[in-house]
Amino acid sequence: MTPAAKILDLQRIGYNYGQIKALSGVSITVEKGPVGLLGPNGAGKSTLLRLLLGFLTIQEGQGKVMGYDVAREKTRVRQIVGYMPEDESYVPGIDGVTLTALLGELSGMPRQEAMKRAHDVLFYVGLEESRYRRVESYSKGMRQRLKLAQALVHDPQLILLDEPTSGLDPQGREEILELITDISNHGVQVLVSSHILPDIEETCQEVIILNQGQVAAQGNLQELKKLNYNLYELKVAGEAAPFLAKLQERGCRWEQEEDLWKLYLPRELSPRVIFELAVEEKVQVRHLVKSQSRLEDLFAQVVGEEE
Amino acid sequence: MSIRKKGYSHWEGQLKESAFVAWFPLTRLGIKLAFQKRFFKLFFFSAFLPALIFLAGIYVSERMEDFRFMIQGQPSFLQITPNYFKAYFTNSFFLFLLVLMMIFVGSGLIADDLKFKALQLYFARPLRKVDYLLGKMATLGFFLLLLSLIPGWIFVLFKLVFAGNFAFLRSYPWLPLAVVAYSLILTLFFAIYTLTLSALSSNSRHVALMIFGIYLASDIIFGIFYQNFHHPYLALLSLKLNLQQVGAALFGEKLFYPVPWGWSLLLLIMLMGLGLAILNRRIRSVEVVK
Repeated sequence: MTPAAKILDLQRIGYNYGQIKALSGVSITVEKGPVGLLGPNGAGKSTLLRLLLGFLTIQEGQGKVMGYDVAREKTRVRQIVGYMPEDESYVPGIDGVTLTALLGELSGMPRQEAMKRAHDVLFYVGLEESRYRRVESYSKGMRQRLKLAQALVHDPQLILLDEPTSGLDPQGREEILELITDISNHGVQVLVSSHILPDIEETCQEVIILNQGQVAAQGNLQELKKLNYNLYELKVAGEAAPFLAKLQERGCRWEQEEDLWKLYLPRELSPRVIFELAVEEKVQVRHLVKSQSRLEDLFAQVVGEEE
Repeated sequence: MSIRKKGYSHWEGQLKESAFVAWFPLTRLGIKLAFQKRFFKLFFFSAFLPALIFLAGIYVSERMEDFRFMIQGQPSFLQITPNYFKAYFTNSFFLFLLVLMMIFVGSGLIADDLKFKALQLYFARPLRKVDYLLGKMATLGFFLLLLSLIPGWIFVLFKLVFAGNFAFLRSYPWLPLAVVAYSLILTLFFAIYTLTLSALSSNSRHVALMIFGIYLASDIIFGIFYQNFHHPYLALLSLKLNLQQVGAALFGEKLFYPVPWGWSLLLLIMLMGLGLAILNRRIRSVEVVK
């Protein structure tokens, strides 16, 4: 890594699949991980990861990963980055340790070192008992661990994890998240792309939300949660529709969860407005509590705003 | 204590900046996987049978006196001339063995990587497309050269050893080079042919059928047309005959059909070019659906 290099430094990145715009004007700066990459399907998360690894060539803008230019120093980037793909991917006919060592060797490790390190990382991810089994006989959970092991074998400075807990049972998911936290605590920068919001909340301090190929929000997760709105939980008795319509006119958004309304109130708007409008529309406010916003709320807000 | 209990640990070593033979681990893996296949070891050793028979022929040719009781007169096939090499390298059975070898070793080389999405694992490493292809090609090259170049040189060497002089080499000083040139043409052609077909499907059985089918079909089509039209240029339709024509020319022997061998060579080069273009298009780190 070049001195004081940022994990990601992307400037106005754009990429189109033919006529379809996948990313447009994406500028992201991340100083330090772990960072979560969020977005609905088709938001451009996978395209962004592919651009970072040089699988796809940047069409507009420029980007650096750990201080290295993604377009011109592709080989260098791949040497210091570990990648755990979302898809099931492996080489059939060989055991876990052989596959991990092979990929270590392809990263530039000496053969014997790669084999020794492969044993170490397979122990680390909990595959010590199965490392001599052929990978095609692995369960889904074991393959997820194997993908994590192969991403770590060459001791990368940054790992890109694409849906690392997809298809795992709760215990397996918890173990993978623990590993991600541990890896991050040991100085490896981590970028987690996931649609499972609690995974991001559990492992990352920084978050990037992509929507329709653009950055919808970016920054420290705790700070972002405070931004732009206050979240209230509201229960009313009476005809809610006109009341909510009035709130919408004042810039509020809401979501219904059974008989509870989650109300996103613009920061500049006092909660007193809720009562004033309730009186006007003759509804009773039965319950109003300022809520601690979660990542889902932030996600719903920024993605909703974009839409 | 397992590494997991003590947490993540860093590797203390240094990654090689640029590996000259970055592709070699792929070659080693390909060879290892080939020997894991059922019946491959049996086939592999059987494939050397023609070479052993030809080697025995060289020995017999130098010990005619000892074998007089077995052989009536001086059979022409035991004259060790470039024609003897042509007979080994261009016989249909030998070329068919190479095709079978490609089916065993090469049908899954890229097809399996496509099927199990291994390309993204490889290309997330500092491995270029050309390294990947070289790695796969070297796997096939290993087996093809073992059946062509190595026996060819052993024939020359043993001829000199059995004769006890260099007269053979003085008469045909270009022969070792012809062996190298033809072995390389066979290797390049069959390697690109196999890899191209392997990149066209993610089902290695389909690829095996294509490797066998296209080679055989080209010869059958030639046969059908030739029976009707008797035109020697129809030989250009057959992959086998094109290889045989080039082989005959390189060993300085009579061509199988009166067609300039340069046409056959050009056709083979064009097919290889087409194969490389297909490979360049098919080998991608990610499937991009537009």
